[in-house]
Amino acid sequence: MSAPEPAIVLDGLSKRFRVNQRDPGLRSAIAALFRREYVEVDAVRELSFCIDAGERVGFLGPNGAGKTTTLKMLAGLLHPTGGRAQVLGHVPARREPEFLRRVALVMGQKRQLSWDLPALDTFELNRVVYEVERGTYDARLAEMRELLDIDAVVRKPVRTLSLGERMKCELVAALLHGPEVLFLDEPTIGMDVAMQLAMREFVREYNRRHGATIVLTSHYMEDVAALCDRILVIDEGRLRFDGSIDALVRRIRPLRRVSVRAAVSEALDVLDALGERVEAQVGSVAYDVHPDRVPEAVAALLALPGARDLRVRDAPLEEVMRELFSRNERLGLDEEEGG
Amino acid sequence: MSLGPKLGALWRLGVAEATAYRASLLVWVLTTALPLVSLVLWHALAADGPIADYDQRAFDSYFVAAFLVRQLTATWIVWDLDRQIRTGELNALLMRPVSPVLHHAMFNLAAMPLRAGLAAPVAALVLIATGGMSLADSASSWLLFVPALILAWLLAFSIQLCIACLAFWLTRASDLYDLWISAYIVLAGYLVPTSLFPSGFGEVARALPFHATLGFPVELLIGRLDTAEALTGIGIQLAWLALFMTLGAWLWRRGLRAYGAFGA
Repeated sequence: MSAPEPAIVLDGLSKRFRVNQRDPGLRSAIAALFRREYVEVDAVRELSFCIDAGERVGFLGPNGAGKTTTLKMLAGLLHPTGGRAQVLGHVPARREPEFLRRVALVMGQKRQLSWDLPALDTFELNRVVYEVERGTYDARLAEMRELLDIDAVVRKPVRTLSLGERMKCELVAALLHGPEVLFLDEPTIGMDVAMQLAMREFVREYNRRHGATIVLTSHYMEDVAALCDRILVIDEGRLRFDGSIDALVRRIRPLRRVSVRAAVSEALDVLDALGERVEAQVGSVAYDVHPDRVPEAVAALLALPGARDLRVRDAPLEEVMRELFSRNERLGLDEEEGG
Repeated sequence: MSLGPKLGALWRLGVAEATAYRASLLVWVLTTALPLVSLVLWHALAADGPIADYDQRAFDSYFVAAFLVRQLTATWIVWDLDRQIRTGELNALLMRPVSPVLHHAMFNLAAMPLRAGLAAPVAALVLIATGGMSLADSASSWLLFVPALILAWLLAFSIQLCIACLAFWLTRASDLYDLWISAYIVLAGYLVPTSLFPSGFGEVARALPFHATLGFPVELLIGRLDTAEALTGIGIQLAWLALFMTLGAWLWRRGLRAYGAFGA
């Protein structure tokens, strides 16, 4: 039996933008009237990867890395300048109706809901243009109204909703036609923590119930960590890493963090030889140590007077991401690698 | 599924939006009331006798008809699409399996009944003040007026679409439309009936797309054209429409290739 076709295939996908630029000031503004200066920016460079149906994949990378450009090419909004993209067997840039009926794009900073009308009006429009049967529509809407707790807001003009309420309605509008592939571009931007959690939970539930493929970009690491089994790190338009979040963490910060609560009051020369001390205060101590030396470190820490609450873990995600997103540091991800 | 139900759904949402923006719509009606200003001016100028073949009543008829035709050929895709391309708002429309151009067409048309409803009392007041207007008395003029009005709207929409599509390459394409409007005010018969233009200049003006979107249907409505002239006018409308629709479709396709989908 042959393997099922991947939901998404990228083969050398590239996008080059031609952007005009000028120096600040009146003189250059006037000069730009007569002679515009253009630079070519390679936003995405020869990206190649596949995403299987039902996968939850997160794009990570610093600002301007090419994540959103890639997402927009996959959604059919941008025409690639090189290479090939295929989503559910379609070439996205052709924007065939059959393709558009099977995908959805949610953008945290853009809306499809009519600003001055209740969200229900846009839902109804989408029901018709996406050709959703009335019964299916009613069932899906009821399910999502319950999951997202939006009964009280769908009849109010969208402009009167809070950001969180609006984004919930945006999600409903995007999912009413039951897309098989859902592209999420910064879906939780500007939301409070509770709302972020609700959104993540909802997207995970949608993936679980319907087997939809989820492709997400987010600056909130927690979104990606909580939702995505697979991470694609994109930097300067190139794929730098493809694997699980655990593998990513260990690649960037291979040391394990070993910590313990103990009665510590003096220098710990024995432990200092095992690794780097990252925390030492009265009552607790933590070291980053090489994985091979974890047993030694554990033994040494447990030998401390009053040792309790011993923990061995990866470096905190935010530290990893700070390192990952910092342009000044080498990422240590020279080649795309599976995790 | 056929296109009909989708157009119906867009129409319904468009009506809902137009209702929500009824105050703005009234302002737009009033800002396109320039023919009524012309009416007052030309009515006064004709007090001492007809100007060419226009007497006071003919001017009244012409400019009330011009005001009404202007309302019924109104479209604003140039501003909406220009903004949507520039800010990336177009993304949401592009993701739907229905053309954004059709979306705009239906939203513009959906506002028409409300717009006409808001314009009618203004026109009625003017008619009461001036003592009425003369309309076409032949069945053929009325029969031809309907397609002429539809073609005028389609032409106005296609012209705006072409200009709006330039936003795929330019920063603010809608500013170019101001240039178009400047020519329109003079050449469409908005301030002066084109039949009063000097010989030679008038013939050229009457062959241009400006006149095809306003002056021609107005003259047809008030009975100033015979059937042969009406058919010629419709022929001119069709020719311009074919040109601008072809150009609009080409610019739209090329534009989507150049589209930057700006904004996050």
